[in-house]
Amino acid sequence: MKFKKIRLLETGFNPGPWNMALDEVLLNNCIDGSEPILRLYGWSPPCVSVGYFQSIEEEVNLDRCSQLGVDVVRRMTGGGAVLHEFELTYSFITRKFPFNILDSYKWICAPVTVCINKLGFKAKYVPLNDIIVDNKKISGNAQTRKNKTLLQHGTILLNVNFEKMFSVLKVPPEKLKDKMIVDAKSRVNGLNRTFEEVASQLKASFSEKFSAQFIEDEITEIEKEDCKKKVAQKYSSHQWNHRR
Amino acid sequence: MIKADNVYKSRKLIKVSLTYCEENKLINSIKITGDFFLYPEEALDQLESSLIGTKVDKYTLRETIEKALKQVDVFGFDQYSLTDAILGCLKQEQDSSATGKR
Repeated sequence: MKFKKIRLLETGFNPGPWNMALDEVLLNNCIDGSEPILRLYGWSPPCVSVGYFQSIEEEVNLDRCSQLGVDVVRRMTGGGAVLHEFELTYSFITRKFPFNILDSYKWICAPVTVCINKLGFKAKYVPLNDIIVDNKKISGNAQTRKNKTLLQHGTILLNVNFEKMFSVLKVPPEKLKDKMIVDAKSRVNGLNRTFEEVASQLKASFSEKFSAQFIEDEITEIEKEDCKKKVAQKYSSHQWNHRR
Repeated sequence: MIKADNVYKSRKLIKVSLTYCEENKLINSIKITGDFFLYPEEALDQLESSLIGTKVDKYTLRETIEKALKQVDVFGFDQYSLTDAILGCLKQEQDSSATGKR
């Protein structure tokens, strides 16, 4: 499956509710004939995102987040809670994709895996939604489908502040392995590459995978307005964030 | 009415919180949370609704879950593990009753 062009949005570092709102706006505004979108972004301030099916109270130490100035937001996608701080996040939004869910994860995780490999690591895609290096998770990915459009977003870990991560996330013993930690010696500190280095390689990998040229773009005024509304009505609301 | 919770590790983590009637063992309310994936996502609300009024019994639960998930893509659990996760609530509750923590 190839694309001639991909709309490229590099939207910088923004608060969690804004980041999640923009992903949903881009997904909702995708219509027949729209180019697929690759969006690259970061988070400022740091933010914990919880999966669509998770309970925010069960997963997050809200008092600690408040003390540390860490935002909290619910994603529209499943999966686990993540502290977004030292990482690159991507979103890929497309109307053309493999129908089978496993196939579609594999399809989009492929250029992410290639990106990490080209940066000098031995990365491997592990179904459904993980990419690992040396048996430890370096990238988590999650997708949703609405209105015949697929959105997959995922993180590439650049660095980890373990102390902060474990103070804001309530990680049950059953999940320690998934959170990249079995014991202190097996910690992974991310790729130790800059955001710009990884962004540059990820763009190259997506372009190569889909034989596509990028149209460098910015979000439109309409998208910006939709995003502001979505932040106010949904992603910063108690009703959404505490829905489970 | 008895309130019970359980955390169950399947391929993903399932957390079940429910209330049920002590006499007839029928579920009165249930919340299923975790880091799993369901497509479409709305299917979880429907699954929870279908479990209300269901007897906390292995075969009844399994059948109800299987039926509710028929048209749903689920990653992280299945009808067997979710049944075990729900039944585990009763065990947790019985254990805490026995130790006086209820």
